[in-house]
Amino acid sequence: MSTAALADARPHRLSDAALASLGAGRPDRATVVELKKSQLSRNLLLLHEIAAVVGPGPLTELAEAERANPTRVRELIARPLFGVWAAGCLRALQAGKNPEISHLSALARAARLPRQQPDKSQQPNKSLKATHNGQSITVRLDDSDPLRAHLGLRPAPPLDPAQHARWQRTFTEAWRLLVTSVPADAEVLAAVLDCVVPVLPDPAARGISATSADAFGAVAISEPADATALAVGLLHETQHSILNAVQYLFDLLEKPATLGYSPWRDDPRPASGILHGAYAYLTVTRFWRTQSTDPLAQTDPLAQFEFARWRAAVSDAAGKLRDLTPAGARFIEAMSAEVRPWLDEPVDPGVLRLAESANRDHYLRWRLRNRHVDPAGARELRRAWRAGEARPDVTSELRPAPKRALEASARLDLTHRFLRGDPLTGPRGEPLTGSDGDVAYVRGDVAAALRAYTDDGVGLILAGGFDVAPELAAVLSDEPDRLAILGWLS
Amino acid sequence: MDGAVNTTGATPEWRSAMIDVSGLSIGDLTSKVTSAPGGDAADDTDGAINGNALAHCLRRLADDLANPGEPIAGFNSAL
Repeated sequence: MSTAALADARPHRLSDAALASLGAGRPDRATVVELKKSQLSRNLLLLHEIAAVVGPGPLTELAEAERANPTRVRELIARPLFGVWAAGCLRALQAGKNPEISHLSALARAARLPRQQPDKSQQPNKSLKATHNGQSITVRLDDSDPLRAHLGLRPAPPLDPAQHARWQRTFTEAWRLLVTSVPADAEVLAAVLDCVVPVLPDPAARGISATSADAFGAVAISEPADATALAVGLLHETQHSILNAVQYLFDLLEKPATLGYSPWRDDPRPASGILHGAYAYLTVTRFWRTQSTDPLAQTDPLAQFEFARWRAAVSDAAGKLRDLTPAGARFIEAMSAEVRPWLDEPVDPGVLRLAESANRDHYLRWRLRNRHVDPAGARELRRAWRAGEARPDVTSELRPAPKRALEASARLDLTHRFLRGDPLTGPRGEPLTGSDGDVAYVRGDVAAALRAYTDDGVGLILAGGFDVAPELAAVLSDEPDRLAILGWLS
Repeated sequence: MDGAVNTTGATPEWRSAMIDVSGLSIGDLTSKVTSAPGGDAADDTDGAINGNALAHCLRRLADDLANPGEPIAGFNSAL
């Protein structure tokens, strides 16, 4: 292609149906191809910008390799970790630093090697492959490229053969689950996912995973506990990649930094993060929907719980996003329209109670952590309560958190145990986790929970069904008769 | 241009601010770039090459790099 072609280059375009299908989390094959093309375009533009700073010299070898084997070079440039390198290189150049440009020569050398023959300095290539019901997936398992450390989590060291075999077994089973439950999502996943990067586990979590906006199609994930965890994790992270690609093409939010409540984190999140959470959980919810309604399977209370919990969270989070661009309005309306019918689908009443409680519990704890009453408001609340006056109009303000916050919840842990049919208490009736109030609340014994929750303000609000801002109740936590206070604040 | 619905065609479509260079070779992409160490990439509008659209596209790319809205999206099953 000549330089005249650059002058003729056109903007990326999506049909209205394609943008809506992306919002609904159901893109067709052609739309995914368009997204992948746009990400290749991004990486090429990054190269263009790198050349604009350092000159075309360092790209000469790669350009020669491309003339000899254009398909192979395209393939290497389209890889997610190349996007990580190119973005990092350009950021460094713009900051006046001297990044390692020789990566381009290494890439040119790699392009000249036969496909399955790694450079002698590199680890042998690893992959994960699976086929079920005629649907296949092959992804690279990248446990050696130093660039994998830029995906947001600490990479695991290279896998030994036994570890690789364990990943493969879990991957095979996860693929079977995905193809059986959500075949269309599985097809999208197979088209988007390029590589899996094993990362070190977080002792405070059952599993962690991450996606970088610079690395379309790469998922960093700790070794999953089981196939379901891997299936859900891959669905979730693939959605992040897709949303990143959509947002490369179109701004969806006018004010992406506006802080608010996210059902998936304990700290205040920017609107862009809330959108990411809702979009990732759209397909996760779809997965649990199929798991909870499979007519051939025994009803799984845990699957029903996940479905009921996340359908509400996705719908609420998407519905509360404000200041949307025209493309954002189209995208998010499609997302809301996808999840809306699920809200009316039947769920066992006992499971529904626990799902709604879990969402409310998280919201109340988030408010308590992040919204604060100023000293003057706190004084006025105390004075009015002690004087027996009507509740004054005192409000709270949201404060940004200094860092990511995510903590375990004993009530949620007990809820999972309850749904699995596991015991909640030990041999002497002591709670295995949480408090006596938590155990009573999860079992649905509201009266016992109210009696037991003496020091747990959120627990009292939950069990009593009060419509109260917990940060206001916390101001009066030293006053006697907390139930009366909650009634006064309602 | 970014995000606007084109209603002039038979089928509405969304036109991105980002230029599709996926069909260009590396040689094509860099042939108009002269050695300019320390130059400001975002200002490399090169009027001979579809100036305004390309410049807008490159500014948006630079903004994305400088201010990534959500650089790392993560999942933690502790919740």
